[in-house]
Amino acid sequence: MKQMKAVLAMALIVLASGNMFASSHREAPITALDRGADVTDWYAFVSYDHPDRVTMILNVDPLLEPANGPNYFPFDPNVLYEMKVDNNRDGMEDVTFQFRFKTEIRAPGVFTGFVGGIFGIPPITALNGPGSEGLSLRQTYTVTMIKNGKATDLTGGNSLYAVPSNVGPLTMPTYDTLFSQGVYSLANNVRVFAGTVDDPFYIDLGAAFDSLNFRMGVGGILSPQVDADDTHNYAPDSVAGYNVNSIVLEVPITMLTADGKLHGFGDKQAVIGTYGATSRPVVSVRRTTGSASSAFQQVNREGNSLINELIIGTGSKDKFSTDDPKNDGQFAAFFLDPLLAHLFNSVLGIPVPPAPRLDLLPLVQYTAPICPGCGPKDGGPIADLLRLNTGIPPTAVGKQKRLGFLAGDIAGFPNGRRPIDDVVDIASRAVAGILVDPVKYGAAIGDGVNINENGYGTTFPYVTPANSGRNSHHVGPGQDGCSGQPNGICPIN
Amino acid sequence: MKKLVAVILMFLGTTAAFTQATESQRSVVSPAQLSIANAQRLIDKNPKDFEAYNSLALALARRARETSDPNFYTQAEEALQKSFAVSPGNYDGARIQVWLLLGKHEFAAALEEATKLNKRIPDDVMVYGFLTDANVELGNYSDAEHAAQWMLNLRAANLAGLTRAAYLRELYGDPEGAVELMKMALDSTPPSEVEDRAWITTQIAHLKMATGKTGEAEELLQQAIASFPGYHYALRNLGKLRMQQKRYDEAVALFQQRYQAASHAENLFDLAEAQQIAGRTLDARQSFAEFERKSLAETNRADNSNHELIIYYADYANQTAKALEVASREYARRHDVFTLDCYAWALHVNGQDVEARKKIEAALAVGIQDANMLRHAGEIALSSGDIVAAQRYLRHAADLNAPDSDRARATLASLSTGSAQK
Repeated sequence: MKQMKAVLAMALIVLASGNMFASSHREAPITALDRGADVTDWYAFVSYDHPDRVTMILNVDPLLEPANGPNYFPFDPNVLYEMKVDNNRDGMEDVTFQFRFKTEIRAPGVFTGFVGGIFGIPPITALNGPGSEGLSLRQTYTVTMIKNGKATDLTGGNSLYAVPSNVGPLTMPTYDTLFSQGVYSLANNVRVFAGTVDDPFYIDLGAAFDSLNFRMGVGGILSPQVDADDTHNYAPDSVAGYNVNSIVLEVPITMLTADGKLHGFGDKQAVIGTYGATSRPVVSVRRTTGSASSAFQQVNREGNSLINELIIGTGSKDKFSTDDPKNDGQFAAFFLDPLLAHLFNSVLGIPVPPAPRLDLLPLVQYTAPICPGCGPKDGGPIADLLRLNTGIPPTAVGKQKRLGFLAGDIAGFPNGRRPIDDVVDIASRAVAGILVDPVKYGAAIGDGVNINENGYGTTFPYVTPANSGRNSHHVGPGQDGCSGQPNGICPIN
Repeated sequence: MKKLVAVILMFLGTTAAFTQATESQRSVVSPAQLSIANAQRLIDKNPKDFEAYNSLALALARRARETSDPNFYTQAEEALQKSFAVSPGNYDGARIQVWLLLGKHEFAAALEEATKLNKRIPDDVMVYGFLTDANVELGNYSDAEHAAQWMLNLRAANLAGLTRAAYLRELYGDPEGAVELMKMALDSTPPSEVEDRAWITTQIAHLKMATGKTGEAEELLQQAIASFPGYHYALRNLGKLRMQQKRYDEAVALFQQRYQAASHAENLFDLAEAQQIAGRTLDARQSFAEFERKSLAETNRADNSNHELIIYYADYANQTAKALEVASREYARRHDVFTLDCYAWALHVNGQDVEARKKIEAALAVGIQDANMLRHAGEIALSSGDIVAAQRYLRHAADLNAPDSDRARATLASLSTGSAQK
């Protein structure tokens, strides 16, 4: 009977724990209760320094507070993290990369924690061996490729360690070294990284979700000077100073295309459709067999950034998250007549094109300009995939434009997505109709957050080390952190 | 500032544990205390923030589990009333109200309210959790299973669904399957949730003990106590383990420590029983007397210790009529396997073995493999003259090698001796 009381009490508390957070960076009602499986962002681009490779980044578990010790943010061993690639335009994955994590508790009797520099425990300077003694909680992971129904272990027998959060300079005095140790070069020119990193996403969340109540007194329409500035922020980046859990994979393009070859940008075979997903095991109250279920149920996914957040209606967000892209035809009404366009019209007072918005189809079908080689029969089903033309060479670092395709930088979003791409401004303008008529519907909608002030990686893994738990801070209205503003102070209004 | 202090304390607590320090960590601020402080801070900022009152109510209910102090439920109710005063009938508040009803063991009322909420918002995972809990406690296992499966279907492998499904698996006689789900729950529980993790670890230890894996149970319980020092659930299970190991003095000490941490009547019963078996008759007599006084004071309340009171009257006080009177009252409230077991035992000690056998077999038909329950079934079958069934039940209880298996072995041995003498 006491057992029952205990179970009851536990059940109550466990339910509560997911309810304690309220962040706008968690879009769907179900995933808002499942941080570990919440896909925050998905990136795919041709590697800057290896034009014959593609890098994909799957970021999960949003708004991780760097100082939130003592145990920080491990990946969830029950979550199957996946990167999926469609290479024949049918909206279904042909190549899948799976990541599974295991947690190792190295100090008997203690579940977690990172300790170093005190009590005779050396600072944490290594993920393994001497210098790693303070890593009480350590995670390893595997990488498996599924292609043509065959699973291939890509780790080659190596132990891959996830990089922990950056506790601070006493515990982890050479954190950048730890970060570098987390980069693994595997066979066949595959590179992989997993760990807690600075969240490269940037947005004025507070203003955006306050009914598009943007700052700077310009009502969300950027001045030409602000719009042209790719190096400063004019409004607070709500994600600044937060970390995120990141899995980064670089593979040769030949590993992804249908025929295993490289193709020029005008060839439809150069174009792939990608998305990131998280799944959890299917569980039945009664076991039907003697062992754990091997089936998984998708919890969350992301192809094009902000589709679920900005386009899909609240009542359909969970269904969208748990369904496959090939079934996205059921959400066509959201794509072809997005509510957000009407909001722009009413809140910002700008004209928007009438429905149906066929101009948005390139985001959800294979067609020009991302796939100039695609004919009328090559579009495939409506499917939220981040499409990438692997035949378009990368734009050199320093010449990349935050507005990507809209600014003539065709290696940027929505041709794939790089960390530098300002998806908030690009997607907002696309929804407002800039692809229909850049003059009539070309309002420079923006939030005034133009960069991630921590910068971007210029080579693999492209993400940057996690913010320090001791020494980092966030950016808010009225605070320092907007280098485009006088004295660097972010505006309140 | 309070949160900052708490975080530092938690860090130091971890550090201390890491270095195998043995000093008490009671000063470490618990997750529930952190949540209480956070909610209170929000209320201080804005006394009209009904969501903050809801958060406070949740946090106080959580503190009730951490401390086993029901006064926190009362405080939680007060916080909830303030939430409703600001925002009458708010949905989150209504959910917490069901939660508190469950905490007070008002299972029928909780089921009624949860059913209403389920009609209001059909796909709320939390409400399915309430439906599962209330139905489990009332013995409506089919309805409970249905609700738990919905939880898991709505949100794959969610933590709350996993722990409920694990308990149902245990009730259905699949402890290994229960361990599998509890381990998944542990993997998905953030390391910072030290008490949640200690709770899950303790439940896994309980399942290991129930299947004779005492070494693993010992290790797990030590882990739970190391991560959440003085944890009353872990102390109780470790006490049971020490009883099984016949290390009675240590068991008594653990039960005393647990009773000091959570001074409920039912906890006193465990202590008294251990003292009795340890041969500390005088201490046992005093503890039993105090237990009876406290238990009788709450016997007509929903949150009572009637199961222990029934066993006390039946096995230690030789007041069989009182045992049946209490059991009949409890059976009128709920038909879960543990109530069925107690009712069957009360019927048995009153000589009503035909009805007793029906009740104990109804409990076992759910599938549970509980050594104590199986021993009761064996004794009842024996009393009914069915020696074959008695031996089957007792052997099953003995084979589990659980804390209560020794008593079954003793009865089984007496049966063999009796047969040999004949």
